[in-house]
Amino acid sequence: MTVLRQYLQALWRARKSLVYVFLLCFSLLIYMPFLMILLKSVGRGWFGRLWLPPELTTHWYRFAVEVTNIPEISKNTLIIAGLAVIMSTLIGIPTGWAFGRRKIPGKELLMSMILLPRMIPPIAYGLGVAQIFYRTHLINTHFGVALAHVAVCAPYAILVLSTTFEGLDERVLEASAVCGANPWRTFLHVIVPLILPGILSSMIFTFTTSYNEFTLTLMTYGKDTVTLPVRTYIALGEGYWEVTSAMSILLVIPSLLVLFLIQRQVAPEKLVGGFKGV
Amino acid sequence: MKRSSGVRSGLVTLLMLLPGLAGFFGLFFYPMMVTLVRSLRPEGEQAGWTLGHYSTFLGEARAQGVIVLTFVLSISATICSILFSVPLSLVLRRKMRGHGFFRLAMLIPRVVPGLIGALGLLLLFGSRGWVNLALLRFIPFVTEPVSINYTIPGLVLFYTWLYFPFTAVTTLSTLEALDPALEEAAAVSGANRWQVLRHVIIPLIMPGILAGSVLTFMAAFGAFSIPLVAGGNYRPLSVEIYRQINLTPARWSAASARAMIMAGLQVAYLTIYMRILRRPST
Repeated sequence: MTVLRQYLQALWRARKSLVYVFLLCFSLLIYMPFLMILLKSVGRGWFGRLWLPPELTTHWYRFAVEVTNIPEISKNTLIIAGLAVIMSTLIGIPTGWAFGRRKIPGKELLMSMILLPRMIPPIAYGLGVAQIFYRTHLINTHFGVALAHVAVCAPYAILVLSTTFEGLDERVLEASAVCGANPWRTFLHVIVPLILPGILSSMIFTFTTSYNEFTLTLMTYGKDTVTLPVRTYIALGEGYWEVTSAMSILLVIPSLLVLFLIQRQVAPEKLVGGFKGV
Repeated sequence: MKRSSGVRSGLVTLLMLLPGLAGFFGLFFYPMMVTLVRSLRPEGEQAGWTLGHYSTFLGEARAQGVIVLTFVLSISATICSILFSVPLSLVLRRKMRGHGFFRLAMLIPRVVPGLIGALGLLLLFGSRGWVNLALLRFIPFVTEPVSINYTIPGLVLFYTWLYFPFTAVTTLSTLEALDPALEEAAAVSGANRWQVLRHVIIPLIMPGILAGSVLTFMAAFGAFSIPLVAGGNYRPLSVEIYRQINLTPARWSAASARAMIMAGLQVAYLTIYMRILRRPST
């Protein structure tokens, strides 16, 4: 405890100058691994004690695209993520509505239960999912892999959408009715525009989750449903670090792009949250 | 009339809850039950019951090593995350230049796949990575590359990199929800800045820190992709489970027993987490 105290004390005293050093180190630690991957993916002959690759090349990207069939794998990844988003949204809208607008006995407990798949390591139920899917021939189908992803995506959609529905103001709906709108018009012109941002952010989150999902894919994929994360893992096992790096860059660019684009609109902190959206 | 409309509305609620419940039971609960049953069957058979997989696993000295390793890794990563996140959130609390940039940096480890993080960290901390080059260049007594990858401290570092956002985000959001009047009151009453921090801020954000660190701990305990590619000879529980089904012949029952032990431990931590969240904040 005294160590912690001294540590905080020292930091507090010199904080004006230390703050930026600290933040600089922090950002370096976060961003540097990606810089290394980027350099590795465009470098040739980067051995020994060299700070930078001596020669730049696009060879590894060409190799990744042509030999390891990245376009096909990207297509798989996108189909699976798309299916997972559709299924999770279809689950999330009614269930999120019930959680957000209805009195449910033991609501908090029920919500914790729904969120359980996000807290238990996927490898634990992935074993069961794999066995069930082997029996029902869902292994190595796009639908099957997407269905496995729904286990982690749907709780997200439900959580995000329940807060959206909770935020709907009853008075706005009443006002719409008072002004003579029938329920259908109220729904189309009042409710839909109000909940659309919630639905979109839920879709973005579930898409990111499915796009990056590794463990559940590993348990349910086959040769026709290899996704980008799994292919990257396989490439890592094969030991071609340059090609793996090129693939990683191709894999990671879309998710970083999405993060930078949506950060203003949807508070991406939610991506990190557990229960209660903290 | 009143009553029947209540029943109807209850039915509607239930109907709307149905998809979520179906997803939960079909994709989580039922698979967990399949895993449980599998873990109680003799290897490769569809009938008969045995507790053998649990007793052999828990009886082995190596298995105890696996559980201890998983604990050591996740506890160390949690402690590192707290030591790192509390100063970070205190610093990021004030709006400053580049505020948004640093806040975003905090989320990056959670939006990229763990695999990619592991690859980048392996490259950065490898014997030819920049960290070692810098150490060799600038620290006089370092003459050999320091091995960081595939060691326990290295793994703790990787875990911390990947899972500290849980602690940092939770701490930061608790900190931002604090009423500034409390600090002002303490300052007006003559407390210096250190005392305000020690006696007002830290106690008030403690629930946030705790909740966040339990999340970090649970994520670290279940970590799979990082130890899978960066663990080397160190195999925590999750990798041990995966290894069982990759043996020939695959040992599904043995893997399931290990998975059930892991799930049981996670549920125990979850109970602790819920307790922390429930506790009324002062």
